[in-house]
Amino acid sequence: MIRVAFALARREFVRFMRQPHRVIGTVAQPILFWLFLGSGFNASFHAPGMNGVSYLQYFYPGVMLMMMLFASIFSSITIIEDRDAGFLQSVLVAPVSRMAIVLGKVMGGVSIAMVQTLIFTIAAPFLGMPLGLPSLGLLILAYVLSSAGFAAMGFFFAWTMRTSSGFHAIMMVFLMPLWMLSGALFPLENAPGWLHAVMIINPVSHALVLMRGPFYSAPAQLFADHRWLLALGVTLVWDAVFLLGSMARVQRREKGAPA
Amino acid sequence: MIQIENLTHVYPASRKTPARTAINSLTLTVEEGQFCILSGPNGSGKSTLFRILCGMSLPSAGTIRIAGHDLFKEPGKARAEMGVVFQSPAVDKHLTVGENLRLHADLYGLSASVYAERLAEAMAWTDLKDRLNDKVDTLSGGLARQVELAKALLTRPRLLLLDEPTTGLDPASRRNFIDALHKIQRERRMTVLMTSHIFSEAEDADRVAIMKAGNLLAFDSPQNLRGRLGREMVVLQSRGAVVLEGRIRADLHLKTRRHGDEIRLEETDNGASLPILEKLLATFRDDIDSIAIKQPALEDVFIHLTGLQKSDTSENGEVQ
Repeated sequence: MIRVAFALARREFVRFMRQPHRVIGTVAQPILFWLFLGSGFNASFHAPGMNGVSYLQYFYPGVMLMMMLFASIFSSITIIEDRDAGFLQSVLVAPVSRMAIVLGKVMGGVSIAMVQTLIFTIAAPFLGMPLGLPSLGLLILAYVLSSAGFAAMGFFFAWTMRTSSGFHAIMMVFLMPLWMLSGALFPLENAPGWLHAVMIINPVSHALVLMRGPFYSAPAQLFADHRWLLALGVTLVWDAVFLLGSMARVQRREKGAPA
Repeated sequence: MIQIENLTHVYPASRKTPARTAINSLTLTVEEGQFCILSGPNGSGKSTLFRILCGMSLPSAGTIRIAGHDLFKEPGKARAEMGVVFQSPAVDKHLTVGENLRLHADLYGLSASVYAERLAEAMAWTDLKDRLNDKVDTLSGGLARQVELAKALLTRPRLLLLDEPTTGLDPASRRNFIDALHKIQRERRMTVLMTSHIFSEAEDADRVAIMKAGNLLAFDSPQNLRGRLGREMVVLQSRGAVVLEGRIRADLHLKTRRHGDEIRLEETDNGASLPILEKLLATFRDDIDSIAIKQPALEDVFIHLTGLQKSDTSENGEVQ
């Protein structure tokens, strides 16, 4: 199963790298977003309990999350293209585990998202947010776990869709708010009560906690921090739910009505 | 190799369309090593049957065994025995020929040494040798089809399923494709089931199945199928075919069938065609545009069988 998943993931990655405009577009857009918004809000930003944190710094993991979120989810969109182009049918008739088909796509999405985010991570030391090696390790773990969850969610929704424009529309309506209410743009602490509640149940905000942690706390502290551990737990459950859900969707074969 | 028993497939009703029976209690056995063509007019249910055979959908009722494995209960085992060539391309156009073949080998778990050997084998019968590093996108239609076939054969399937594989090819490429397929099928004693509209492709087959409205009308060798029509027939063209048909029936007491402007007298005994032709010319010369004696081809059998069915059971294929 692992071999099949790797072979399929490699295909995703190779395809991505062969489309340079896709590479440039997905990396450049969040960076511009970060620079423009970050510079604009920098002077007026004061996070409670985060003295001395500039908005460019505060927003940095948020943009990272945005990159991760969009890269992962939209890599799953290719399942619609695969179905249209006919490639998917040859995978479906192969004697391969259905989970391998899901994992192939998800691992492909994770690897693509990783390339982008890792490029972006190079900026961290220059922002005055240096990362030790153990922290970097935890950060990468956070990338992989949250990216896998997003990619699996994308797979789950894309599987039954017939056009990629429909997927775009739904994901924009769905994803943008999730991202905005995750604490990526502004801290959760001074938001009104109802908004705060939404943020708590939003899985994307947990992914953000997971990513922001390594920048501000040492790994030992994180493993003692119940908020970070909760975020880790939520993300793991999220991964499992959508991976299994996607597998169930692939497994389901269209069935004739009772005769 | 393939045992289909009482297979029925009903497409469920939706808001706009009523339920539709695509396959109606079909039973069919394809022996190991046979080259079998599955034919039928559009909407006959052959595409549905193909989808079910390659394990993409589940029927309403019935069983299929592939090389002894129950296709619905042990799909993994059945899938491992077969190769599939789809009508639409099933390779990744953005990858090279070699990358596509490699990916396929990975999906079927071929080891590196087996893959190298099979690749060499494939290069021997295809024209892809110099194109391995080219993207499939850049290949001609004929070469792209060769990739599909080479890919499916890489795993040495005991059963090869093909869905109208020559659609869109020019006649020369089509010939090449079919010849290569026949050659490999004989060498490997592989079982082949191929859907096709093209009767020249069916003439060399061991068995031809003809479907119509979800029913199996005939399943026999091409020779026996041709035998069903007698040996010869008289075919004539006329602009007033409707009137002429009536007069031939009334005046000469002959059995006729009409397809548009064409009238056919199919049930003629050997040697009887020429006298009939002479009689027709003598009686109706002015109404006849052209007339000929024809040896039946598979296409004629097909038209005979599928045309017959239409008038008899027009309701067949609807769920009451």
